[in-house]
Amino acid sequence: MRTAVLLGFRLRQEVLEWSGAWWFLLTLVVQAVVAPLIGLFVWSAVSPDDPAIGRYYTAVILVTLMTESFEQHTFSERIYNGTLSHELLRPQPVVIGVIGMNLAIRAWLTVLGAPIVLLTGIALQVGFDWWSVLRSTPYLVLAAVLVFLWTFLLSLTAFWTDRVHAVVGFGSQLVFLFGGTAAPIALLPDGLRRVAEVLPFYGMIGLPAEIAAGTRAGGSLLYQLAWVVLLVGVVAVLWRAGVRRYTAVGS
Amino acid sequence: MSAVEVENLSMSYKAPVRKGGLRAALGSLVRREYKTVQALDQVSFTIAPGEVAGFIGPNGAGKTTTMKILSGILYPTGGEVRVLDHVPWQRRSTFLKRIAFVRGSQPVGGSQELTVMDSLEYQRLLYDVPRAKFRRTLAELEALLDLEPLLERQLRALSLGERMRVGLAMALIYRPEVLFLDEPTIGLDVSAASLIREFVREYVEQTGATVLLTSHYMADVASLCPRLILIDHGQVQYDGPLAELSARLSPYKLIRISAAEDPSAFGEVVEKADGQWVLRVPRDEVAGTTARLLQALEVVDLAVEEPPLEKVIDQAYREGLR
Repeated sequence: MRTAVLLGFRLRQEVLEWSGAWWFLLTLVVQAVVAPLIGLFVWSAVSPDDPAIGRYYTAVILVTLMTESFEQHTFSERIYNGTLSHELLRPQPVVIGVIGMNLAIRAWLTVLGAPIVLLTGIALQVGFDWWSVLRSTPYLVLAAVLVFLWTFLLSLTAFWTDRVHAVVGFGSQLVFLFGGTAAPIALLPDGLRRVAEVLPFYGMIGLPAEIAAGTRAGGSLLYQLAWVVLLVGVVAVLWRAGVRRYTAVGS
Repeated sequence: MSAVEVENLSMSYKAPVRKGGLRAALGSLVRREYKTVQALDQVSFTIAPGEVAGFIGPNGAGKTTTMKILSGILYPTGGEVRVLDHVPWQRRSTFLKRIAFVRGSQPVGGSQELTVMDSLEYQRLLYDVPRAKFRRTLAELEALLDLEPLLERQLRALSLGERMRVGLAMALIYRPEVLFLDEPTIGLDVSAASLIREFVREYVEQTGATVLLTSHYMADVASLCPRLILIDHGQVQYDGPLAELSARLSPYKLIRISAAEDPSAFGEVVEKADGQWVLRVPRDEVAGTTARLLQALEVVDLAVEEPPLEKVIDQAYREGLR
């Protein structure tokens, strides 16, 4: 209960904090939607008569906006500039602050990016089956958790290297390639598709988008949950090792 | 029982090193070399509940590293530490709610868009301070730190002095029992520094808190700390009363005298201006010299002073303790 109250308060704080940087958030929205839009243009040109492509990529844009994570900019910077010390001194798990900021940024990106999703849908005359959209909700929630855990895990490498942006950039490329943004994974070569379906990246973008678009009737929540459990474990181990190594900069 | 117990505390870092030039840079790709930096070396001391101790030393002596270990931010590489009977780096909530670490260089953390009142409210939630107690403490802090005009201001818009006042208020709103103050008056003007000193003194008097304070300003140390711990090269060089350190380092006292005639025959003149002299006299000769001065000269004014603390400490930093 106390954790929920603290998280709620932190979320409110961060929403307020980021409200002053709406122009910066707009640039994040643009960056987030560029890759799915390119995928949309390419695959619409390949299959101009397939309405599912438009639906799928409109869903991908929305899923991307709602699951974006920037812990390499927020959390890792705190390691680099030493302000993580403030968080370590607070009688609450440090991750509450990280999650609070993550949710606040996602909320802003969703609000600011909604017109783009709407315009894309109208321009492509996309029609969603709202039952499919509703059914995608648990998959979307788990996708949001997975993206956060993946980005946070890679951002924890800031305890060991000052090149965290390269590490997270590499991780994002994996999500782009195997997550269903570069191409719906059903369109990947057979072997690659089988690999993509096992890796966690498909559960971050492609799976909830396919279910919302109605191109897939059902998926395995268990597959997403298994990756959540595994990533939570790895994050916990890396966090403990990282904090031991932590040496705050300056005074 | 002690509030702070430190025994044989050691902290070392492995810092990568290499020679200059392209060859050395390429060589370091395959074989990295490290140098061990000993930040703290077998540091031991205890601080009793309610005691205020000054923790001084030159830059890089290990003061801030010690503070970070005592507050739980850093893991040491050796030794034992207990603060309020807790191992600090385990960072248990029950421990963190009883201590505060305030740094002059970063007095306020967290969201800078928030108002001071919002930030204090967040502290109330974090530290589980009952509302009635929160209101009472806030009223006291408002009066002592002149907080009222700042409550509706955003943190990002505060000046350095204001940030320090707010940082102290945020740290003390939950009434910590142990207070680590790392250069709390750094960069502040004379009035702001004096206000902070006065506030810390009153807080200690009211609450009986234990304080460990680092500062490069001797006015802070002289006015707040009856006890000094001097650290250099990661080792405790002195631990005891301030006056004893002064006597140990400087076997002289100063006699400040205003007189019509020249008193230079009675001691070494270290200052002379507008009919006023400052004579340096061995401590054990002060009484005799003063009596002779009063007998021989027409003295307008006379005062016996300890040498300035800055000079004593400077001597300790440069020459070490004999």
